[in-house]
Amino acid sequence: MLALTLALLLCVPPARALTDESTGGDVSIEVGKLLALDDQNHVFQPGMIWVEDGKISYVGAPRATPEGMRRLSYPDAWATPGLVDLHTHIHTGGWGDINDMVLAVNPGLRVAPTLRPANALMRRACVSGVTTLFGIPGSGTNISGFGVLYKTKDDAPYERTVLAEPGGMKVAQDSNPQRRSGDLGLTRAGMGWILEYTNRRALRAMEQNRFDLSLEQLKRVHKKELPVLIHTAGSDGVVNTARMWRVTFDTRSVLSHGSFDGWKAARAVAEMGMPVNHGPRTTDYPWGRNGRMNGSASEFVAAGVPNFSLNTDSGVIPQEEFFLQASMSARYGANPYEMLRALTIHPAKAFGIDDRVGSLEIGKDADIVLRSGDPLDPRASIKLVMIDGQIEYDRERDGLLF
Amino acid sequence: MVLACPPLLGASSMGMDAPAGTPGGPGLALIAAKALTAEIEGPGFVDRAVVLIRDGRIEAVGPAVDIALPADYAVQDLGPLWVMPGMIDLHSHVGGSRGINDMVYQTNPGLRVSATVVNDNSALQRAVASGVTTILYIPGSGTNMGGQGVLMKTAVARYENALVRNPGSLKIAQGDNPTRWGYGMGRLMMNYHLRHTIRRGLAYAAQWEAWQRGERKKPERDIQLDVFRDLKARSTQVSTHTQYYQLVMKTILMLAKEFDFDVYIDHGSFDSWLNADLAEHHGVAAILGPRSVMWPRAPRFDTDGQVQGSAWGFQREGHTRIGFNTDAPVIPQEELFLQAAMGVRYGMHNEAMQSVRGLTIVPALTAGIDGRVGSLEVGKDADVLVVTGDPGDPRNSVERVLIGGETVYDTSTDRRRW
Repeated sequence: MLALTLALLLCVPPARALTDESTGGDVSIEVGKLLALDDQNHVFQPGMIWVEDGKISYVGAPRATPEGMRRLSYPDAWATPGLVDLHTHIHTGGWGDINDMVLAVNPGLRVAPTLRPANALMRRACVSGVTTLFGIPGSGTNISGFGVLYKTKDDAPYERTVLAEPGGMKVAQDSNPQRRSGDLGLTRAGMGWILEYTNRRALRAMEQNRFDLSLEQLKRVHKKELPVLIHTAGSDGVVNTARMWRVTFDTRSVLSHGSFDGWKAARAVAEMGMPVNHGPRTTDYPWGRNGRMNGSASEFVAAGVPNFSLNTDSGVIPQEEFFLQASMSARYGANPYEMLRALTIHPAKAFGIDDRVGSLEIGKDADIVLRSGDPLDPRASIKLVMIDGQIEYDRERDGLLF
Repeated sequence: MVLACPPLLGASSMGMDAPAGTPGGPGLALIAAKALTAEIEGPGFVDRAVVLIRDGRIEAVGPAVDIALPADYAVQDLGPLWVMPGMIDLHSHVGGSRGINDMVYQTNPGLRVSATVVNDNSALQRAVASGVTTILYIPGSGTNMGGQGVLMKTAVARYENALVRNPGSLKIAQGDNPTRWGYGMGRLMMNYHLRHTIRRGLAYAAQWEAWQRGERKKPERDIQLDVFRDLKARSTQVSTHTQYYQLVMKTILMLAKEFDFDVYIDHGSFDSWLNADLAEHHGVAAILGPRSVMWPRAPRFDTDGQVQGSAWGFQREGHTRIGFNTDAPVIPQEELFLQAAMGVRYGMHNEAMQSVRGLTIVPALTAGIDGRVGSLEVGKDADVLVVTGDPGDPRNSVERVLIGGETVYDTSTDRRRW
């Protein structure tokens, strides 16, 4: 219960922004082009955003700025929401401390004690425009624990970095957690048994109203209070995962990776209504010389998967190259604008945090990125990154950092 | 001695129905919305351009209004598409069967990777689909001299036809990787080994020059040192794995200045841009990658709190011959263009098409093969890419590739490979 209370406390949006005038405060930003990434796909050219108390209070065509609001003008810049990556491992500042492989399933664990705010990797994420991360444990076991949703602020204490703790559960249902010593879980059949057994234990504890420290967080997944992100790859694993977490159990589950020939199961996943969080591998090269190259993002989107998003699995792909996952998916045949949604509003919706982040809309957190050009073009550079209304990166002030 | 092959005496030259643009076939006229001609001086592009191709070579290139289309030429209007020269990677290990590190001695100048070439292999198939048409396939950096590389085209079936030049270079690795050889060398001993072998090699080459002048009897052939005859004559280059300030300084002062080799910086990572003005002064080109950036607060290096792109570092200090490599498969061969795009991201100025030139004419000049490849200029091999736009933007794609006037990849008929 204490854990629950603490978590709820931390979910509360930060109180009135603690800002100083030079980097925060109420501000009006005028830009050459504004991609709102909202449901209506608004584009304003030129555009304007107002930020009050760390929240967005106006998005649209330029208009007269109210008294007392500081004015910023970037007539050559494009504005987008900050990017949201749901599959990341940089919260400890390296590869350490992400896999406590105690048991086959460890639903009692949470990564929060290992989060190092403002570490160097988070800073790089921030200056590349990635503002919200789901920091999760590795895939060493079938349930490796609960991750934390946080923002990539520099020089902010833990409480003001965190969006939600726990932010959701991490499951690995393929490859990495397969045990090599011959005990249960050597194959997918064994892993499937372990996961189903664990889920039923949590449901039984809920029915019996019985407290079990190792299952309390998992209960919240089955109450649909928390989402779950599931590492699974090839088409057979993808179908199994979708069936278990969407049909056998009714959860707010998001399928992560879906690589190799995972795209072949895209239609089944779409029918089961499961969002896909794709990457870091986004292509499927068939063996042989003249095989067709398959970009799997376009296949998932074509199949109608809801809220299709991309990931880096950082540091597998460096966090700062998140945008490049979209650029390359576009190269491999996907629609570029759809790929921009896959970096912003789609992951936010898939994880139920779209009331806070993922688009430029009134009432949302002022997480705003200004670039010199199209967000998918690597030659365009970042001019400004704002999180919760605070300027976290300013190219003029800080120099080139990515 | 250097074997430089004439372009493409392929099967097509013997057939009755050679396709337009290839040897023996009728001429080919490509009309494009834009041609990135990429010559080293000048604007580097032509809007609404025509490229005439005959017998595998470029016959004319310029604005459509200035170039008459000969009556018997096959005319292909590419509509909104652009054309540009095929891209060149001077650091690649995917040209063959991976037999690239025979670590017999600390220096192995006699080994040649030409013995391991697998033409048109699957990595090269993907490379050509991304627009890479020429590579320098070189030995690894397991020893201080890995052997001789070979300059070759990517999607040509027969070795003789794919060959651009052999030896394409002598691969030297000045530091780091070769320390793992034997009992483990330091940089002092490695430098001694290099000097020792180079001095022996140059003495050997001098004997042949003396014989040619009639001053002595014919020397005994030593295949371990033959490559130094080419190096002394500057008919091939030294491509050197050199990546730190101190090593790059020795590349310039030892290999270029003291031994008078035609040498270029290959890698040029970390803080090596600090040598940019020295390199420019001695005419040493910089072919950068695969690591092309240093992050703030990196151990041992001071980047003044900012990200430091290698290309930007060299450019800012006045260096003018900056190209890019992949070290494939370290970076996949097909992502060569991305090395240039990220160079721009990390600060390099691109208003004079520096990123495109760094993929084409700069490596061609560096390898001394600019007479054949690297730009769309009259007389060069018709290695032409048909692209949807600037190659620096990953959303653009390569629709068609011609090598020596022959279409070797075409997304309208082939399945799209990349």
